[in-house]
Amino acid sequence: MLKRLLTASLVIVGMFGLLGPAHAADPVKIGFSIPKTGLFAPAGPSQLNAYLVWQKMVNDKGGLDIGGKGRRKIEFVQYDDKSDPAQAVKIYEKLITSDKVDLVMAPWGTQHHFAIAPVVERHKFPLIGNTAASVALRKVKPGYLWFTTPMMPDNLAKEMTAMLKSRGVKSVAIMYNLLQFASENIQFLKPALAKAGITVKFEAKYPPDIKDMTGMLTKIKGANPDAVLVHSYPGDSILYMNQAREVGINAKTQYVMVGPAIGFFRGMFKSNLDGIVTMAAWTPGLKNTTGSQEFYNAYKKMFKGHEPDYLDSVEVFVSAQILEQAIAKVGLNREKIRQAVNTMTFDTIYGKIKFDGVQNSITPAGFAQIQKGKIEVVWPKQRATSAVVDKGAWAK
Amino acid sequence: MDILLSPQLLAAALITGVLYALISLGLNLIYGTMRLLNVAHGDLVMIGAYIAFIVFSLFNVGPLVSMFGAAVICGGLGWFAYKSIFQNLLSNSQILARLEENSLLLFFGISVVVQNLVILFFTADRQGYEYLSAIVEIGDVRLTGARLAVLIVGSVISIAAVLYLRFSLFGLAMNALIQNRDASAVVGINVDRVQMFSLIIGFGITGLAGALISVLEPITPVMGFPYTMSAFVVIILGGLGNLWGGFLAGLLLGMLEIFGVAITGPEWRSVLVYGIFIGILIFRPQGLLGRGKIAR
Repeated sequence: MLKRLLTASLVIVGMFGLLGPAHAADPVKIGFSIPKTGLFAPAGPSQLNAYLVWQKMVNDKGGLDIGGKGRRKIEFVQYDDKSDPAQAVKIYEKLITSDKVDLVMAPWGTQHHFAIAPVVERHKFPLIGNTAASVALRKVKPGYLWFTTPMMPDNLAKEMTAMLKSRGVKSVAIMYNLLQFASENIQFLKPALAKAGITVKFEAKYPPDIKDMTGMLTKIKGANPDAVLVHSYPGDSILYMNQAREVGINAKTQYVMVGPAIGFFRGMFKSNLDGIVTMAAWTPGLKNTTGSQEFYNAYKKMFKGHEPDYLDSVEVFVSAQILEQAIAKVGLNREKIRQAVNTMTFDTIYGKIKFDGVQNSITPAGFAQIQKGKIEVVWPKQRATSAVVDKGAWAK
Repeated sequence: MDILLSPQLLAAALITGVLYALISLGLNLIYGTMRLLNVAHGDLVMIGAYIAFIVFSLFNVGPLVSMFGAAVICGGLGWFAYKSIFQNLLSNSQILARLEENSLLLFFGISVVVQNLVILFFTADRQGYEYLSAIVEIGDVRLTGARLAVLIVGSVISIAAVLYLRFSLFGLAMNALIQNRDASAVVGINVDRVQMFSLIIGFGITGLAGALISVLEPITPVMGFPYTMSAFVVIILGGLGNLWGGFLAGLLLGMLEIFGVAITGPEWRSVLVYGIFIGILIFRPQGLLGRGKIAR
């Protein structure tokens, strides 16, 4: 009899343990999908690494501050979405309904954000987006999704035109990849340039699988513009870097959209990258930011000396800082987190951030330039860590 | 139209064409001798690129040396694949009859496994390194040392391989197998041995090409697929199993791509390449240099 009573008591205690509220020491489960395989797999590590750095930095402090009522460590639940938005939808459903995560973080890329938006809305899970940029994001109904990126194509066009004007540029050549973000940039850039009186001497779009740019670059050399604006991704950025040197493109302003801010790219081109302008609005020494140098150091320590991607990894860490600060303010109640994200001003490695609807309303779109091997923010002027300089001659 | 007379454009077309020719050579050998549709072909390019990258990172040895290591390792993979999978399949006449279509699925599976293994060991992060980046000027043509090396080494190896396979005893045996597998066995050719070496040489040359490509683009686990596609276009253009035809088709595709794009615009590249590909399939299905078969 005593044995039965003891067994029953243990079962009951055990059930309370399962069903009852989490212990203070239980980790906070945060789920997300990552493209570990498929077309976008090479872009995945920039995001995942930043998540892992944030997790380590927070856990080393004892965990997330849960509304001032103690700390809980972070545990990630992550799945490979195979670069497929439909797969991401299934993963976020599973994370929420089956894995019972406390919170979710963003998948990689604009398409994936659009795909999972209805899922997080339906389950009322707040999600701070990162690595997504399109003016179409503004059409997302304000609710449970926000976007940290300052790199909206219309803002980029405005800032690019202002930067070119400040440098006395009168004519440009434009090349762009047919992928969505690059094309959307051109849609806004051309009218902005026309309004500023800057002539487009050459324009060409090209497919993502392009293998050679010699023809386009020969024509650009003939047109002799003041600036060459290449809206490219890492693969085609490498083509440009190699072949612009071969053809002898010597414009004083050369913009290569995605690539120069990523570590491997700088390893490939070293001093030849000096003077190249790229899309990035952060550097570890950026003033009026919170945790920039700490993030940079932690990243390099965790990934054996590799630098973070100054664009994607930075934006991912910013989204994590926002979530962390909202939780510190209101705890893990998702509705309260939503209200906090809507109303709070956050201190991040981008500086202060506040949302207007779904969009980061403070951080301006900006550009960086590689100067003596270092990435310096050069535009807009009020955020610049260095003034933009002429691209010198290519190294021999 | 002056641009068409540009020697810089001609050099670019030759580099692209030589790379296509080199990469398609291995696929052609394997398809020709065994009728295996290797859709994992581009993954061998990727493995070769990773080998070159690792050797450079660890020992500071460039791809012009490590490409031989890449060839040996990828050739070894070919030997392993033959011994562990294809030797048995090719010796079973019932399986052999369906092997061409089944090999497509088999290699697709191998491709997925290989890509995931590389991701597991090296992550999907892009990799790259600086090598022979100085500009070399030859007359009016300016090329980075790396691209010039790709042009020279790629040309030498492609032509040497095609000549060897055309004139050596082993190459003649391979050609015999490409033309008629059953008759080759009847005249005393060791079919098993020729098949095994076809796979070894095919994999090896592709790995070597991968090592050369490692200096031209980001190295990622998924970098191979576009090369699989290009190689298939080239071998169909040149005639399946026709090595010399494949080499010329590679060059032709390079010229078509670079000069065609210079005339029309880059957005027309796919239309040009695949338009010609479809045209050849319709009007000359045996390929540019392939011979039609007479059905009796």
